[in-house]
Amino acid sequence: MKRKLIIFLLVWICFILQTTVFSTLTFFTAAPNVLIILTVSIGFMQGRTEGLLTGFLCGLLVDLFYGKIFGFFALVYLLVGYFCGRYSKIYFDEDVKIPLLLTGAGELFLNLMIYIGQFMLRGRTDFGGYLKGVILPETVSTLLAAIILYRLFYKLNHSLVEKEKKGRQSLWIRN
Amino acid sequence: MKKKNSQLLKSGHLLIIMIIVCVGLMIGTLTLPAVTAPVRTSVGFVVSPLQNGVNTVGKWLTKQFSGFHDVQKLTAENEALKKQVSDLTQENNQLVQNQGELTRLQDLYNLDKQYSDYTKIAAEVISKEPGSWYNSFVVNKGTKDGIAVDMNVLGQGGLIGIVTEVGGNWAQVRAIIDDNSSVSGMASNTSEPCVVNGSLLGMENGKIVFSGLRDTDNEVTEGTSIVTSNISDRYLTGLLIGYVSEIAMDSNNLTKSGTIIPAADFRSLREVLIITDLKQRKENESTD
Repeated sequence: MKRKLIIFLLVWICFILQTTVFSTLTFFTAAPNVLIILTVSIGFMQGRTEGLLTGFLCGLLVDLFYGKIFGFFALVYLLVGYFCGRYSKIYFDEDVKIPLLLTGAGELFLNLMIYIGQFMLRGRTDFGGYLKGVILPETVSTLLAAIILYRLFYKLNHSLVEKEKKGRQSLWIRN
Repeated sequence: MKKKNSQLLKSGHLLIIMIIVCVGLMIGTLTLPAVTAPVRTSVGFVVSPLQNGVNTVGKWLTKQFSGFHDVQKLTAENEALKKQVSDLTQENNQLVQNQGELTRLQDLYNLDKQYSDYTKIAAEVISKEPGSWYNSFVVNKGTKDGIAVDMNVLGQGGLIGIVTEVGGNWAQVRAIIDDNSSVSGMASNTSEPCVVNGSLLGMENGKIVFSGLRDTDNEVTEGTSIVTSNISDRYLTGLLIGYVSEIAMDSNNLTKSGTIIPAADFRSLREVLIITDLKQRKENESTD
């Protein structure tokens, strides 16, 4: 329960930081997508259900504020979270390679869906231009941010799990 | 093993349920757009003060980083001056337009007063859309300050965009450089109408596109200013959009299209001016 609450809070914090601080960072040509990093990290560290719900919440927030079609981002983020949850079996240490790979895949998937759903269908067919001008810069800056943020999320998750384990060991707090 | 199976089933079920929920929401918004508006308004009511606060902290931090006290003073002064410059540029642009065009238009359309009579409210940009696909942002003024949907937004010497959604203490603005944006404009010297569209790919070079301009006498050249047109139903007449950068004849040999460099600088948006006069209302008043 406590873990869920903390994830909920994390989503809000990331969303607010994403729309204020990160969007105005000038040294990146594209702002890193913190929400996708969070979704991937939670999915990878805690499993399918958590990943799915985190993704849904992240996407819902984006939809609420900036969505053109309500539910679109929720669906895409949810799928990313679920997909990353499938790899939670191989999660065991601080190794950053697999989450980075998943973040890259999630970011590409998200951007492809946006392109197909909201640009290609309006007759913007210059995919190469969008790939070079929008998708790749954002993916690169997201990956750079993920290297730092994943460590942070990992430490947080680690301390939470440790506390939960301790709680389970003592019979009194269990129920 | 059994437990694992049931867990798999559980998350799989959840996935299907959530997908159905999302698709349902999408269909919902496409068919009944009015339903989501109250939800957005209420969530915005909670979040926009937070964003405002985070932004204030961020600004405070940047200020601290920017150096010693003297430097701070200078930055403040500089900011005030910049604001003044952008105000004056805006005013000057209007005056320049007036000079060449107003005398003729005055006789024709009786527009004499409209140019400078707009009441404006200053607002601060508090959040921007995540991701790089769209160009819309949220400002810290809402219905409480008299903002309404379809109000025009100016800044730094030109048209910035239009208010698309509004809540108690926030309003969402879609910039004219957004790929979905489409503004009815006209060449300031010939008054021929054209359509100005935002372009995501064009904005990499700082340009947006226009199309459908009739220019039989080749009067529109590079550097001609494009302003909002009098036939637009949402944009007030005569707001500067930008200057023509490239122009070429279309394959139909009737109209021209090309690119425009926007007059406003969209990279460093901090403060904007919202015109609280709505085109529809203004026209109603004048016909009364």
